Amino acid sequence: MKALLTAAVLGMVAVALLGADYALSQSAFVATWAIAGLGLSLIVGQAGQISLGHGAFLGIGAYVEGLLAVAGWPPWVSAPAAVALAAAAGWVASLPGRRLGGMAFAMSTLAIALLVEEGLVRWESVTGGAAGLAVPSLRIAGQVISGPLGQSLVSTALLIVAYACCRRWVASRIGRAWRAVREDEAAAAAVGIDCGALRSLAFVLGAGLAGLAGVLYAHWLAYLSPEQFGLQLSFELLMLVFIGGAARLAGALWGAAVIVALPQLISLFTDALPARWGSASGVETLAFGLLIVLIILLRPAGIAGERRQAGREAG
Amino acid sequence: MFAQVLTSGIATGCVYGLVALSFVLIYKATGTVSFMQGELLMLGAFAAVFAHDGLGWPLLLAFAGAVAAMFALGALLERSVLRRAIGQAHLTALLLTFGLGMVLRGAVTAVPAATHEMHRLPLPFAGEHIAFGAVVVAGEHLVVILATALLCLGLGLFFRFSRAGLALRACSENPRVAALMGVSVNGMHTLAWALGAALAACAGLLLAPMTFVFPGMGLIALKAFPAAVLGGMSSLAGALAGGLFLGVVEAIAGLYLPEGVKDATAYALLLVALLVFPRGLFVTRGA
Amino acid sequence: MKKLLALLGTCLALACAGATAATPGVTAEQIRVATIQDLSGPIAILGAPIRDGMAMRFDEENDRGGIFGRKLRLVVEDSGYDPKKAVLATRKLLQRDGVFAFLGDLGTPVVMATMPLIIEAGRPHMFPFSPHAATYQPLDPLKFQLFAPYQDYMNAAVRQMVTSNGYKRVGLLYQDDDYGLEVMKGVEAGLAQLGQKLVEKTSYKRGATDFASQIARLRAAGCDLVVLATVVRETVGAVSEARKVGWNVDMLVTASGYSAQTHELGGKAMEGLYGVSVMPHPYAAGANDRLFEWIERYRTRYDADPNVWSVMGYNVADVFIQGLRGAGRDLTVERFVHAMEGLSTTRDFFGGPAYHFSAQDHLGNRHGRLARIEGGKWVLISDYLK
Repeated sequence: MKALLTAAVLGMVAVALLGADYALSQSAFVATWAIAGLGLSLIVGQAGQISLGHGAFLGIGAYVEGLLAVAGWPPWVSAPAAVALAAAAGWVASLPGRRLGGMAFAMSTLAIALLVEEGLVRWESVTGGAAGLAVPSLRIAGQVISGPLGQSLVSTALLIVAYACCRRWVASRIGRAWRAVREDEAAAAAVGIDCGALRSLAFVLGAGLAGLAGVLYAHWLAYLSPEQFGLQLSFELLMLVFIGGAARLAGALWGAAVIVALPQLISLFTDALPARWGSASGVETLAFGLLIVLIILLRPAGIAGERRQAGREAG
Repeated sequence: MFAQVLTSGIATGCVYGLVALSFVLIYKATGTVSFMQGELLMLGAFAAVFAHDGLGWPLLLAFAGAVAAMFALGALLERSVLRRAIGQAHLTALLLTFGLGMVLRGAVTAVPAATHEMHRLPLPFAGEHIAFGAVVVAGEHLVVILATALLCLGLGLFFRFSRAGLALRACSENPRVAALMGVSVNGMHTLAWALGAALAACAGLLLAPMTFVFPGMGLIALKAFPAAVLGGMSSLAGALAGGLFLGVVEAIAGLYLPEGVKDATAYALLLVALLVFPRGLFVTRGA
Repeated sequence: MKKLLALLGTCLALACAGATAATPGVTAEQIRVATIQDLSGPIAILGAPIRDGMAMRFDEENDRGGIFGRKLRLVVEDSGYDPKKAVLATRKLLQRDGVFAFLGDLGTPVVMATMPLIIEAGRPHMFPFSPHAATYQPLDPLKFQLFAPYQDYMNAAVRQMVTSNGYKRVGLLYQDDDYGLEVMKGVEAGLAQLGQKLVEKTSYKRGATDFASQIARLRAAGCDLVVLATVVRETVGAVSEARKVGWNVDMLVTASGYSAQTHELGGKAMEGLYGVSVMPHPYAAGANDRLFEWIERYRTRYDADPNVWSVMGYNVADVFIQGLRGAGRDLTVERFVHAMEGLSTTRDFFGGPAYHFSAQDHLGNRHGRLARIEGGKWVLISDYLK
């Protein structure tokens, strides 16, 4: 209830400050990013793995949805297909984890993500290559959803579903097993937990959620090109999870709010600066980087994480 | 034609190698994967441009000044920010470097002169070519190859014979034992970051005649990364070898493999190498 | 909870109240115009001079008293080349800043993601810096473009080069993005008209440093003309590489490589390079009086030399202002569109093309002209190729 109230108050402040469409549009992207963040949070926070290529799963989801929507498939067929394919890609990406650990495995996810991006460019006959792909608006039961209100409602509804699912998974035997693997792999294996399979499961679920975010992203943006799903996006998602707090699912929500809305706030702020300063091009990047550094230093366990446990969280 | 492409590949590989070297140096000593080496490289090159064009320093002095400034910046960043991430998860430090990279990039972009045009460092020999039989080598490529060799020689001597070098190595092998032997582990961390930043700056200076100086030039670090991993992330010689290998393979792939494969080669190789040789292609003992 | 809801309602009402003016972004004193630039991302090197050129033209107009007494205000947003940020910036500009039109947005992903929102909101989408055909096709009353499409002018340029110099084997080096693809289509279409085909095409990724393998490939294919779909840095890299290995093949670069930086950075190896120019580079040496005065003004204002991108920024603002003038005192979107559709400009002091718009054609210009680097600067060697 407290969280709900906080969200409501934040929402109102945003509406009052920004105007309804602008605030709703932001909330649509915040919710979309939060869904992807939840997925990554399962991988990083629960299973204790590092994925440096999460943006690629979002990209796969977005492209599959975009292509099927162009072909005229209804969303209740195309969206599950997109999620399933992204999840399958997640499974593939988790396989090197059977042999590799730690940073080496993280590198392999990076390599896979960059190969996916390259594949989107080169598989021109299907993806449209570097020229990009225009995606039609989302259509649910004959209703075209293109306005900020509709986008925000759909994203939020799916976020709630995703959040509920994640909570169940985390509280279940799977969640406990994930944490066991994260804390002490040898001990987990000793009590009969199949560590490799569990990690793969985290990747499948995490990539599936990223794929779901991709489905929404494809429609909200209406235009896809491979460069949108590069390293920058993967890092953005990773920062999102970390800033919010990897150990808690709520961290993904906080992180998404910060990652999506912070640049907007900074830009509002620079608008208010005298022209000479406000117009310097790098100021927004600089301020964003600085804030990221500050958050990581001051709240190492993330915004949603507890202060006391600082440093022990992400495993 | 093959030899021609090969020499270009070697020169590019040297730059990859130097950046990879700076990655590994930092990783070994502090356990941090630095995602800001590209930005440090870019900043180093801009520092030299500023010293030469803005302050009117002679070229060699500008180069020395830039490298020294980056050395100091590396130390400063470690003292003020990165030190606080010690003892926390790998990812904390990694994201911290990413955030710092954004700060550096933003700071450079905020200078109007930096974003309005690309800059050139008038390196001696740049634009000249020297013919070795049928193979023509560009002056800047030759400089890169020679400078890389010199830098590596210097680093090798440093790690083998100097007190600080030995202490840094000891620290990378086993910080606890090193601390017991009276090595200041904190000091060594500072040194590693300073050296890493200075090395990245050197790579930036050598890259400048090939790609010119502009805010996006740090992108090359994306290729240096696989190079470091190919080298096993733990050996300096391996990192250099990984860089060279990658540069050469890319060049040759561009010549013989079908169109479009070239750019994916680095990452495909990385993946294969990780799976087949999880400890790196060129595992050698020591530094 | 009730109080909260009441508060929410008030906020909503307040938010909506602002948006009821007759024509958005137009008041008795002011016309607000938006532009979404890349000032911090991969093509910031274009975004900064474009913005500066636009701002300079706007201020010029304001110093003369504005348009029918209304001052122009340019609202700049930085997308960093991230379409998500651009979409949010568009919402902000539409709602919070309430702008009249969008002018000169930069970057295909940004333009493609934001254009639908802008059109839906009923605001003119003017002269975006994107080669995508969707910026003027299919015809939409609110979409106007004035940059000659790569497909059209590279087609004409290649045909002109091949017919006058008799090339038999044309090759292409292209950047593997939408820019490179557009050029490829144009070159292939032009060659097809002459019964030829590309004998070799090879690509590079943005940020590439080494062109040895690409040049070797093109050389092995025996090309006698190499078309470069490259930007400045890669143009220098590719041409230098070819000259280094002693291959003195003729090369033709698109307008993206037509920049003073090409010969400044590349030095004497660039001599003889052909290029296509859509807007000429503002050289101070040999400039006419007005151009010289303009260059001086730009230098004093920004402490930097203007380049071809500053000219383009200035140019889009200039044509836009001509449209606003034509719309008359009672500025509405309909009047503005009507004025634009009747607009024909004359060649300006930069030596740029004349633009013609009509109700059937919202693309102002399709033509480029050939240029060549001679004596360390670009020299125009043909008129606009029709």
